[in-house]
Amino acid sequence: MIDTLLSVFRISIKAIFANKMRAALTSLGIVIGVAAVITMLAVGSGTQKSMEERFSRFGTNILYLRQPWNLDESISSPKDITMNDVRAVRRLRGVTAAAPYISSGFAVKYGITETTIDVLATDTDIFKTYDWQLASGREFTQREVDTYAQVAILGDTSAKTIFNDVDPIGKIVIFDEIPFTIIGVMKKNGQGGFGFDMDEGTLIPYTTGKVKMNTGWKSENRRALDQVIIRVEDFNKIDELKVSITNAIRNTHKIHSLGKDDFQLDDFASFVEEAKAASKTMGILLGVIGAVSLLVGGIGVMNIMLVSVTERTREIGIRMAIGATSADIRLQFLAEAVTLSCFGGIIGVLLGIGVTLIVAANSTSIPAQLSVGSIVISFAFSAATGIFFGYYPAHKASKLTPIDALRYE
Amino acid sequence: MSLIETSNLYKTYEVGDVQVHALQGVSINIERGEFVAVMGPSGSGKSTFMNILGCLDKPTQGKYVLDGIDVTATDLSELAGVRNRKIGFVFQGFNLISRTSALENVELPMVYNHTPASKRREKAMQALEAVGLAQRAHHMPNQLSGGQQQRVAIARSLVCDAPIIFADEPTGNLDTKMSIEVMELFTRLNKEMGKTIILITHEPDIAEYAGRLITFRDGKKVSDEVKK
Repeated sequence: MIDTLLSVFRISIKAIFANKMRAALTSLGIVIGVAAVITMLAVGSGTQKSMEERFSRFGTNILYLRQPWNLDESISSPKDITMNDVRAVRRLRGVTAAAPYISSGFAVKYGITETTIDVLATDTDIFKTYDWQLASGREFTQREVDTYAQVAILGDTSAKTIFNDVDPIGKIVIFDEIPFTIIGVMKKNGQGGFGFDMDEGTLIPYTTGKVKMNTGWKSENRRALDQVIIRVEDFNKIDELKVSITNAIRNTHKIHSLGKDDFQLDDFASFVEEAKAASKTMGILLGVIGAVSLLVGGIGVMNIMLVSVTERTREIGIRMAIGATSADIRLQFLAEAVTLSCFGGIIGVLLGIGVTLIVAANSTSIPAQLSVGSIVISFAFSAATGIFFGYYPAHKASKLTPIDALRYE
Repeated sequence: MSLIETSNLYKTYEVGDVQVHALQGVSINIERGEFVAVMGPSGSGKSTFMNILGCLDKPTQGKYVLDGIDVTATDLSELAGVRNRKIGFVFQGFNLISRTSALENVELPMVYNHTPASKRREKAMQALEAVGLAQRAHHMPNQLSGGQQQRVAIARSLVCDAPIIFADEPTGNLDTKMSIEVMELFTRLNKEMGKTIILITHEPDIAEYAGRLITFRDGKKVSDEVKK
């Protein structure tokens, strides 16, 4: 049996190599389909992995309090998130820290260096929420927050951008035309925080930002915060704590018992849900693209196999005359279709791996992660395409009668 | 019991609205070891008769028993096995598979009866030796002369040890010298290996090689003579 299969595949390979150009063009559809699926699955799983890493870095016991992005229309005058809310949250049991959070990009000057930097205005609780660590210098103090001190802590990348190799501690930098003394530099921590990358940014006291910065923040409600970042003691009690935080904020916002919340409380889980939904959408998209290209490739295989059956009608007749059954003929042509599409599949796998490696090597923003699973699955699909689209031509060949086939010119 | 027994074979084709009576009651017995030539003008029914004898087609009516097998009662998929075991075909156009070496062409019938690869190679080499082409085993058909290609086809018809060789105009595409070579080979296979050979031809000098001559006309056997 294995012996027979081997000789069937040998004949298939021979038949395919007899028409190299035709085989190459036919399998191109499958090559592209398989390569696209592998590359995109790699990018997809790479993106998901890097997201998971980011999530785990900024912690699972962090909550975000903010105004909803899509505010319910029935809420006529939503209240801003303010320090009153921060203080209300801090009073709750089980809350480790609650830090105000306002961020914006600002122009920065130091000597002849001019650049733009993301500034996060906050208070001392920020050091208790995220796991950011100082490389040198110190954190700012509560007293500095209370006195609108013009002090700043730089992220690793921003310190290098502004100062090169010079020690930034004690230097004076102009943010938005206000001089700030650099009191600390953070260690590199990778993409931390959701929406705020500490490496690329800087921290200042929120009081200083709100009161002294000329552009951006000053024109807004002086009391309004973008968000409150809350760290809870115990991840397992996060649901209970969300209830008590919600009640506390409803209280400070004076929402009566039937009124709707004019704020939103997000935790890690809700980000994970969003990310999962996004990657599911991406997965469906990939599936559709892969299916369409394999469909097109499969039709190409079917087309060429029909041509091949017609061209080789006489050969089919000879084989039948010397003892091939209909099943033998069907197996032969099915094997050729599968060999052709697997050949496309192998080239596609190699191309997909190549493209993925090139993408991974040249782009930091698109993480790509090859998985054996995606390679196996896409290769299996190419083989399945061969069986599916090769069956009809093979069946057609097997239905020929030996006399008609032998008489065919 | 004869090797081939046909009784009252009829074959009717429908061509459009017209019925063509290709065979009209043919009864012939052929014994083991005979060398039979079948002659007749085109349209005489000799090709239809040969297709039925070769198990490539079935009669509309009548009975055909080949080496004890009732072919008329056997279905088409089983006939493939009967052809493989009992019959070797040699055609006018050689009908070798292109891009495939002489040796592999000769091996092919054994692929379909699931002979192990090493055994196939051995038997195919023996068959090529029998037709004097062992040294050309790895040539492709297009690298061989017409006579050599026909000898490869003859080797292919021998390789499954089938008792019968059907040769349909085997010299039709060959010149006189090659025709003589091929016919002498058939004679030798008949005499030395005891093969039953059934030959279709329209050339009287080719038919001369046979020991029995059957003539067809209008779907009927008109003469059947055994030479001394």
